[in-house]
Amino acid sequence: MIRSLSLILSLLLLGIAFAFTINPPYPLQIPNTFGHRYTIPADNPMTVEGVALGRYLFYDSLLSKNNTISCSSCHRQALAFTDGFALSIGVSGRPTFRNSMSLANLLWVRDFFWDGHSKTLEAQALIPLAHPDEMGLAPEKAAQKLQQTTFYPLRFLKAFGTDQITPELMAKALAQFERTLISANSPYDQHLQGKYTLTPAEKRGMDLFMRGSNREQTIRGANCAHCHGGAQFFQNRFHNNGLDASPLDPGRQEVTGFDEDFARFRVPTLRNIALTAPYMHDGRFKTLEDVVNHYSDHIAQSTTLSADLRGMIALTAQERQDLVAFLHTLTDQEFIRNPAFGNPFLRP
Amino acid sequence: MKYLLLSFLLISAASAQTVLKITGEVSKPLHLQAADLKVMPYVEVKATDRDGQEHRYSGVPVIALLRKAGVTVGGQLRGENLVKYALVRAADGYEVLFALPELDPEFSARTIILAESVDGAALPAGTGPYRLVVPEEKKPARWIREVREIEIRFAK
Repeated sequence: MIRSLSLILSLLLLGIAFAFTINPPYPLQIPNTFGHRYTIPADNPMTVEGVALGRYLFYDSLLSKNNTISCSSCHRQALAFTDGFALSIGVSGRPTFRNSMSLANLLWVRDFFWDGHSKTLEAQALIPLAHPDEMGLAPEKAAQKLQQTTFYPLRFLKAFGTDQITPELMAKALAQFERTLISANSPYDQHLQGKYTLTPAEKRGMDLFMRGSNREQTIRGANCAHCHGGAQFFQNRFHNNGLDASPLDPGRQEVTGFDEDFARFRVPTLRNIALTAPYMHDGRFKTLEDVVNHYSDHIAQSTTLSADLRGMIALTAQERQDLVAFLHTLTDQEFIRNPAFGNPFLRP
Repeated sequence: MKYLLLSFLLISAASAQTVLKITGEVSKPLHLQAADLKVMPYVEVKATDRDGQEHRYSGVPVIALLRKAGVTVGGQLRGENLVKYALVRAADGYEVLFALPELDPEFSARTIILAESVDGAALPAGTGPYRLVVPEEKKPARWIREVREIEIRFAK
């Protein structure tokens, strides 16, 4: 009796060990400065096979109605996973409602999209898939398409232990891949580690970025870090940043129902910001200089304008140049060249 | 007539909006409307804001809200309950944290309030309708504006 029990137990342990050897946990490297305030859902632990599958799905145009658009069409690695357009064109030929967002350091994001209407990457992943102006394919139909291939059923089996493809598993795989997209090796990061010396302009720009002005303005600061501060250069916050006196897009209000949230949008990351033009939720600004000029000179008053943007100082020409110089130090060449984030159909 | 009815419905929907949630490690999760807060006892505190000026703030002591939600304060704030904290969340997503003893008058001499008015006037847009006021705190970073939620959690 005892012998057969121990035999069963050994077989069970062997089985578990085998499961891990064929699909081990994904070794996520968390940058020290980023901290551990993030959630990976208990029902979607990251695995090597899950991440690999998510990467295939991310780059596969099979997930669109007419097989022309993949996630990577609007989220190109070379542009820190944006597409360079103010608004993107999907399968319908009509422009999307808002600007394509950069996909860096999503592990620390709590409310996805410009208006924060998705709480998790799993919930987010299928929305562009189904949207008629993006990929235009119902997730159930996408699952059927994948099921009919010779390629994917085995991949799902390896990742999730079943070859029955469902929208839920597709979303899980995509979320796993997206959680690996960590950008933390820009010249700014190297400066923090003592491996890169900022130029005088970059240093002046950083000081302006990080601090606020004192009341007498003997210390001048642009205080960008108030909203875009922290190691990830974003905070999980929603603000009306004074683009219009009468905004047309209700933004966050559509999600919460509060009047006070009218025209509020996510504070996006500034990591790789030099690569992610054009800027703002509607892509209205073509250059970083335009953006800096906006915050310096053109904040439009409206009822929900962020209290943090009332009383911004007008920057000098030199200060504007310095700020832009600093913003360029947030470009992470390793992130945009990392083969693990690239198209697996071209380079597995 | 139809429009009248519609606007009436819209107004009643707006007035029935939850303005403050108290959730988490509570025995009675609360979804409070403005009218629920109005009938609670108000106190006035004097405190110095970022402008360097002392102002009079009026509002509900946070401890009263915690008691209403059945948070372990007062005699229950002992043992492992001492590692509970309140995470206060604003409309824009800004968050600040208080250990429960900071909010409990049996531990702390200062009264932290959920202020609704300053110097007799309603708090301005972008600050109100509700803001925490933390008297005697040197830096007002925890005077969180546009408060929408207080979540009680255990440190793990």
